[in-house]
Amino acid sequence: MSSRVCKNCGGTDIDVDQARGDAVCIGCGSVLEDNIIVSEVQFMETGGGGSSAVGQFVAGDASGKNPMFGEGFYTGVGRESRAQTLQNGRRQINTLGHQLQLNQHCLDTAFNFYKMAVGKHLTRGRRVPHVVAACLYLVCRTEGTPHMLLDLSDILQVNVYVLGRTFLVLAKELCINAPAIDPCLYIPRFAHLLEFGEKNHEVSMTALRLLQRMKRDWMHTGRRPSGLCGAALLVAARMHEFRRTIKEIISVVKVCEATLKKRLNEFEDTPTSKLTIDEFMRVDLDQECDPPSFIEGQRKKKLKLLEEELQKKIGDVQEEIHEYQDEIEMELEQCRPKLRGMYASYAKTDTQEEADDDDVSLPDWGEEEEEEEELKAVAQHINKDLVISGEEGDRGEQEKTPRQGPSLASLLGPMPTAASLGLPESISKCIGETNEDDEDTENGELDLSGIDDDEIELYLLNDREVKVKTQLWLKQNADYLKEQKEKEERIAKEKELGIYKEKKPKRPGSRKRAPIHANTADEAIEKMLEQKKISTKINYDILKELNNKPSTSPARQTAGSPNGATAGALRPTGPYRRPTPAPLSLGTPLSSLGKRLRPFISAQPAKKLALDQAAKPPLVAAAEQRDSVLVESGPVVYDEVGDEEEEDEDEPCVSAMQLLGGNEYGCDDDDGF
Amino acid sequence: MESSNDVALDIIITNVVAVFRTRCHLNLRTIALEGVNVIYKPEYGKVLMKPRITASIWSSGKIICTGATSEEEAKQGARRLARTLQKLGFKVRFADFKVVNVLAVCSMPFAIRLIDFTKNNRPIASYEPELHPAATYRIKTLKATVQVFSTGSLTVTGPNVQTVATAVEHIYPLLFECQKPLCK
Repeated sequence: MSSRVCKNCGGTDIDVDQARGDAVCIGCGSVLEDNIIVSEVQFMETGGGGSSAVGQFVAGDASGKNPMFGEGFYTGVGRESRAQTLQNGRRQINTLGHQLQLNQHCLDTAFNFYKMAVGKHLTRGRRVPHVVAACLYLVCRTEGTPHMLLDLSDILQVNVYVLGRTFLVLAKELCINAPAIDPCLYIPRFAHLLEFGEKNHEVSMTALRLLQRMKRDWMHTGRRPSGLCGAALLVAARMHEFRRTIKEIISVVKVCEATLKKRLNEFEDTPTSKLTIDEFMRVDLDQECDPPSFIEGQRKKKLKLLEEELQKKIGDVQEEIHEYQDEIEMELEQCRPKLRGMYASYAKTDTQEEADDDDVSLPDWGEEEEEEEELKAVAQHINKDLVISGEEGDRGEQEKTPRQGPSLASLLGPMPTAASLGLPESISKCIGETNEDDEDTENGELDLSGIDDDEIELYLLNDREVKVKTQLWLKQNADYLKEQKEKEERIAKEKELGIYKEKKPKRPGSRKRAPIHANTADEAIEKMLEQKKISTKINYDILKELNNKPSTSPARQTAGSPNGATAGALRPTGPYRRPTPAPLSLGTPLSSLGKRLRPFISAQPAKKLALDQAAKPPLVAAAEQRDSVLVESGPVVYDEVGDEEEEDEDEPCVSAMQLLGGNEYGCDDDDGF
Repeated sequence: MESSNDVALDIIITNVVAVFRTRCHLNLRTIALEGVNVIYKPEYGKVLMKPRITASIWSSGKIICTGATSEEEAKQGARRLARTLQKLGFKVRFADFKVVNVLAVCSMPFAIRLIDFTKNNRPIASYEPELHPAATYRIKTLKATVQVFSTGSLTVTGPNVQTVATAVEHIYPLLFECQKPLCK
């Protein structure tokens, strides 16, 4: 209180009464402040005899606004949705965390992560369990607890990768750099589950040592830690003379058997595995290995290289063979040049030739013995006619081309797809050269350069083939077609019955309104009103009428307000109207008002009309006498009243309210008068 | 496609995905029943196989071509496909051809310490052995994603061939820092 000084006497001795909420100067007795907001807790007794604190709980991070003041009886009703979300998250974190046997500290941290996630709107579009799990896993990672994402996904029954994605996004957005997983963390946990009894510690130590070794041999990068742990534990268990089968290990570490076996094999490949148990415990090899997958890759590469070399050598040999073969054929041709027709001669000499060919070791020719001889003759003929390049591939191709005709024809009958399988391969080989770069102008026209039409024709089936394929397709998709048909029938039936609801995706932006073009504001408003009705309560016809004579309205206003005399003359309508509902509101209870009102309403218009008509003519006359401008005002007022009455006739209920309202205004005016 | 260092890196493009429109509606059943190498599953879109490229065709006329190994080949294949559709009697035009995705592989001459690599490039790189054996490194400016494997293999995806090459150049020095020389 020393900081405060009395305004009157300048004294510093000020007494502040927290309970009453005022500050009084002791020196002069003046009240310096009252109604201080007190920071004391008050209690009140509740009906049951207990007591509760007065006021409401406002969390530190909640915004100051508190919508529920008077009826804050139910805790939770007045809370913001954000708080609710957080509480929900907290509850889920707690349940999930307890299932994982995490301590309270971890749960709190997880909740803080969750709060951050909510604050950054990361919960939107994600399911709460996923976010909660990701938060918990984030804690596991930062705190180094032996939990895997797989455990979380096990409990939640959610795909690991879904959780993983959520986790990654959260970690990235919240800028939490989780340290990389160390497989050593999991060893004690898995060892415990494998029940090694007294030797638990020793086994885990051995497993840890194995794991360290594996890490140095690059076995852990890019591998799931659990698989590695499994392999290490299996070896460690065997080393300590425990009988643990691969299956037991698998059920604990939750990896596939193949994975575990692969890890074991990889470990087998490292030099460490060659050591005896004693040596392993004593010696640390300095040497590191390459990653196993890399070694595997290298090996594959080497194998491939070898194979290529082999292929090349075989090719060389074959080339030689071809040369010999060609020479023989040349010789043969020279031997029998003066014979008659070409083909006939081939047909005759074919058998001899074939024998020759087989001797010269052309195995693929031998296989074709069942083929017609003529075909063979043709093939050979072409083979010979071409300049003897001696390449095996070329030869095979040329063999294929003549063979296509008959084989296609024979195959197409029963199964056109088989033909289609054979076709593209051979064709693609043939048209390899047609692939040339060409720029086409992007005008939507298809540039045909570099496209072989003949080739494309081959991709299309002929009529017979189409028929066969249609049949096949129909058979294959019979179920789907049937379903579709049933669906259509159902829809048709529903349409007949009139219960069919067409599902039209309603898009908010789909119905675009034409933009309003108008010269004046009036016009624009009119057009706007045409497009959409603001309210169903408005009588638009009358609104239009009002719009039609906008010149009169200002005149009426001038007539209303500045001229005191006309106002006085107009007034009578107020008092006239007034008495009608007045007794109503006084005597009758509100509930019965509606019923009682009706007779009034039905009676009223006529009555009022008469009254108004009676009132108007003198009014107009009076106005005319006073001011020529006011001549117009009379009929306008009259019109308006008439309009009101029209409405009255249309909707008695509404007009009753209007009348009441009008009456009130009348009252106000009277008061103001 | 060489990196800045003296080692030459071979970037092998394994897949190019491209899209184009035909500007007309296509009757899938017709295509399915009259084309040779066509698979049509009425529940989905539809697949048409061609030499080298595979195309997914939708009745709206949008076509996605995959399986090409260069941008030119993708275009050539797409045009060939459009021609085939023309022959089937559709009024096909060739519009809005665009390469949308390129997948490439590349091999570093050294192994990579993934953990160090992730540590050095914290927010951009992420390595979760529980989920994926590779570290993921996303270059936002290039819209390219690089998967780094411990063996030194890279898988790069990007919107076009050029970005893929740039991405490899971009990441090479970072990988070089975390290399582990192979023991011969």
